[in-house]
Amino acid sequence: MNKQQFLAELRKHLFGLPQDDIKQPLDYYAEIIDDRIEDGISEEDAVSDIGDPKEIAKQILIDIPLPKLIKQKIKPKRRLKVWEIVLLALGAPVWLPIIIAVVAIILSVYVVFWSVVASLYAVNLSVAFCGVAGVVGAIIYISMGKTAEGMFALGAGILCIGLAVLMFFGFNQITKGLLWASKKVLQGVKSCFVKGDVK
Amino acid sequence: MDIQLKRGLLDICVLAAIKGEDSYGYQIIKDMKPYVEISESTLYPILRRLESAKLLTVRNAEHNGRLRKYYHITDLGLKRIEDFKDVWQEIISIYNFVTREEDK
Repeated sequence: MNKQQFLAELRKHLFGLPQDDIKQPLDYYAEIIDDRIEDGISEEDAVSDIGDPKEIAKQILIDIPLPKLIKQKIKPKRRLKVWEIVLLALGAPVWLPIIIAVVAIILSVYVVFWSVVASLYAVNLSVAFCGVAGVVGAIIYISMGKTAEGMFALGAGILCIGLAVLMFFGFNQITKGLLWASKKVLQGVKSCFVKGDVK
Repeated sequence: MDIQLKRGLLDICVLAAIKGEDSYGYQIIKDMKPYVEISESTLYPILRRLESAKLLTVRNAEHNGRLRKYYHITDLGLKRIEDFKDVWQEIISIYNFVTREEDK
């Protein structure tokens, strides 16, 4: 790789940064390479010793504060032309519903997650309630002299209580999993907008 | 060596390299070489950091028909070197304390 190729490669990987943040490292590395060549090192060696331009660009990006990076991502690379603004305004009936739809989808994913969690605990609660009702029923049956029915209700009630306790732990795990999954979904959506680069 | 420690030490080394007279990137690396290896890509963020901390200033000067950036140490930079010397005295006495058992 010669000097020009190195600098072009570096510039390519810094694309999108403010002009100053691109020019400064390019000037620095151009000067270093020139000085090395002046010192009697061949251009090829002078460049290759410096390292991979991609790695160097990554390091430069890491050192740039995050707010600046994000602002750069959101800001358009250039001023919008008049016809683009007109097109944006005229296109509002098209892109506005799309954005609303995307937001609605994200929202509904959340609602689904939470309603699954809510229904799980509702089931748990009702099984627990059945258990208590069974035991209470058993006491009433037995006090009324219906021993067989009372025993049946007692067994069913205790079974339900046991089931409810086991369910509670199971559902806790499921809820944890769902929360994790919903976080992943949100991260996935976010990564669509902030492509690649430095995390 | 601990990365954080090394980073701080390299900052001081770069300041020391321009303490006597203004210097430029390649010369700084060459001057440091007998004492501590530093690569071009390591030096760059250090120079930027020292500049934004106002420990050094940058000026462009022509050399062989191209521009070269010369780095000049500020009073704040000189003070940083002095502070470092004081801190290092402390570290030496801590070192002496840590190794005192071994000498016995």
